[in-house]
Amino acid sequence: MNIFIHELKSNLKSLLIWGVIVVVLIVMAVSKFSAFAGDPELLGMLDSMPPGLLEALNMRAFNLTTLSGFYGVMFIYFGLMGAIAAAMWGSGIISKEERDKTVEFSLVLPVTRGRVVTAKALAALVNCGAFVLITWAGSLVAVRSYNPDQAFYSFLALEMQAMLAIELIFLALGLLLGCAMKQYKLSGSIAVGIILVTYFVSIASVMQENLDFLKYFTPFRYFDAGELFRNGRMDGTYLLLSAAIIVVCVVGAYMAYGRRDLYI
Amino acid sequence: MSSNIYRHEFRARLGSVLIWSLGLAFLIVFFFSLFPVFADQAALMNEFLARYPQQLRAAFGLDNMDLASVLGFYSFILLFAELCLAIQAGNYGFGLVSIEEAELTADFLLSKPVSRTRVLTSKLLAALTSLAVTDLVVWVSTLAAIFLFREGREFDRPTLLLLLVSLVIFQLFFLSVGLVISLLVRRVRSVTPYSLGLGFGAYALSAFSGVFGEVALELITPFKHLDPAYIVRHAAYDTPLVLLNVAVTLVSLAVSYWLYVRRDIPAVS
Amino acid sequence: MSVIEVANLTKYYGKARGIVDVSFTEEEGEIFGFIGPNGAGKSTTIRLLLSLIHPTSGSARVFGKDVVAHGPEIRRDIGYLPSEVYYYEGMRVSDLLKYSASFYDHDCTQRIRELSETMELEMHRRISDLSYGNKKKVGIVQGLLHSPKLLFLDEPTAGLDPLMQRRFFDLIREENARGVTVFFSSHILGEVQRLCTRVGIIREGRIVEISDIRTLQQNNYKKVRVTAEGLNAAAFELPGVTNLQAENGSVHFFFKGDINAVLQRMAGTRVSDVTIEEPTLEEIFMHYYE
Repeated sequence: MNIFIHELKSNLKSLLIWGVIVVVLIVMAVSKFSAFAGDPELLGMLDSMPPGLLEALNMRAFNLTTLSGFYGVMFIYFGLMGAIAAAMWGSGIISKEERDKTVEFSLVLPVTRGRVVTAKALAALVNCGAFVLITWAGSLVAVRSYNPDQAFYSFLALEMQAMLAIELIFLALGLLLGCAMKQYKLSGSIAVGIILVTYFVSIASVMQENLDFLKYFTPFRYFDAGELFRNGRMDGTYLLLSAAIIVVCVVGAYMAYGRRDLYI
Repeated sequence: MSSNIYRHEFRARLGSVLIWSLGLAFLIVFFFSLFPVFADQAALMNEFLARYPQQLRAAFGLDNMDLASVLGFYSFILLFAELCLAIQAGNYGFGLVSIEEAELTADFLLSKPVSRTRVLTSKLLAALTSLAVTDLVVWVSTLAAIFLFREGREFDRPTLLLLLVSLVIFQLFFLSVGLVISLLVRRVRSVTPYSLGLGFGAYALSAFSGVFGEVALELITPFKHLDPAYIVRHAAYDTPLVLLNVAVTLVSLAVSYWLYVRRDIPAVS
Repeated sequence: MSVIEVANLTKYYGKARGIVDVSFTEEEGEIFGFIGPNGAGKSTTIRLLLSLIHPTSGSARVFGKDVVAHGPEIRRDIGYLPSEVYYYEGMRVSDLLKYSASFYDHDCTQRIRELSETMELEMHRRISDLSYGNKKKVGIVQGLLHSPKLLFLDEPTAGLDPLMQRRFFDLIREENARGVTVFFSSHILGEVQRLCTRVGIIREGRIVEISDIRTLQQNNYKKVRVTAEGLNAAAFELPGVTNLQAENGSVHFFFKGDINAVLQRMAGTRVSDVTIEEPTLEEIFMHYYE
């Protein structure tokens, strides 16, 4: 329990910094919506666009003139930020013991390694949840002046759930890396690599039809804003996939850390 | 500069350079291989888009960009490559002196008969060489990709040269800014969050400024200073912005030297 | 020209005091011991002399040159053994020593070989695989391989086994015999006592005492222990006696003054055993600590 609280406290600064950054981004983004709001000309043009073009640019369900549409387009960047933050928290919270050379303190306490991992993971989880809440709150405040309708609020809620899901995936991945890698320095680098690769794969998967299968490999496409808007809920297959990834990573993390030799 | 420090630093980064170079080579060749198919579709798209207002095109990120042309498509891919290059340069910049202090080898190095200036210069040159190697790989991959997949379409060679050279300026920015920030912060315990924050942050800012045409945003982010789309469209650099970029780089370097010479290296215990 | 000249050297870390108004000199060929409690400022002083940190006020000169202005020059002839040794983890011992040697103008290979043999280094192991004590041994070789004229030793034997400690001290004595000046900071007063000619005591950032060891010992008290049958402690309550204790038929105390008074008291008793010794540096030291 005390490990949990200790970790919460030491990660507070990081959470605040990420929170401020994401809120600034949201405010900047939404403040520009007025340029697009309800412009009938734009609407007309969107309707006349060839579907292929809209599809390729992931714009099919989107209507930039509505708040939801606009927000959906911007979402990828918030999701990206959430992913980075989560991966950093996940891998960092474990490897910092080796990095700061406190292993001989923290892991010699009368607690099992499993409990240490649990406490840390929960703390990182709380951070992720807090980050989602901050994003949610920031978004609500930013869109106030546009008097959004209920549809938007439901959509926003859905997007936030998607963001949480993405964060959880990358958190689990980060945890696994932090627990499994013998060289703790590598865990951060590999996390970066995975984030970059999945981001690029998400782009490649929309650029070409026969690359569409790649969408299963990148969490950024599990909760495609367009699909969410159209269907009003998250896709079951992807949810299952996400859950599977999370479970595998977390179990792997526990197993790896239990067996690993810890040196400083 | 001290050649022994230079060699030591360069060798230490060799593995990293290899990974980034290979990754980037793959990225460029793979994405560019999509060009032929895309180009055909895009030609059609461009026809439609030409009729639409600038804001709409910007929203799709297609403003200033002609995806049907070799360089237009390449400039689209280049944004992603630049994201990687930004992170790599940021890694080297943030870690240049901070890693020594975090791992406490600073005592060893700085108790040797070398001045701080020489130490920093040697480290900078080594990092620069590492980045230059990566840039070289990017250049070669670009040429390979273009010649493999362009399917007879022509492109303007001088403009391509401008694009490729811009990468070096681009990385120098992140190297210097990363370095100066690491010297201003009291302790850098882990380089990754910083370089990711700087790299992705600049990337996201450029995406936003593209959509909104907000000039102020353009001033902050090197992705806009050396905007590939702009370079392709005008076959030239956006001189004021490039000068701004270089100025920031030089100021960062100067401040870094000033800070490093005066820095107290705290005791291990 | 003194090898080290420190004048009113002061260092504040923000508001926290490092050292205040420290002055001393060290002559060539001396072995100067610098002792004090934890946090007294020993490491701060050494780091100032090495230009790793910068003084708030005051000055320090080594080889007659100012440490801030001529740092790199001075360091050509300085060897430094820090208390905790950290090197580049991925390197092998031999590579690290070669890298260290590459900073100096002359060829150090012979010296490296000699020193590595004496300290029994495993040249081909990676730094990351070495134990703390072994890393310390590498540190010793690294500090000496360029035949420096001045050595800074900061808790040098912490982590070494007794055999290596003895080898290390022999090395230092050899170097000193060849004219090398040694500045030695340590808690282990036994070794300071054995090795040093002069001692400086620092406490809470200020110098408390600088003198040579003989003088320090002589000007202090003597420890006396008398064993006799039916001994009464009160018999030795004399002026100049402190810490009078009796146990198991013997009495011991500290005495400062004319020793004849004590001898006279003893002459009147049938003594079975007597010890009169000089205090160890440790005992003197504790006096300053309190």
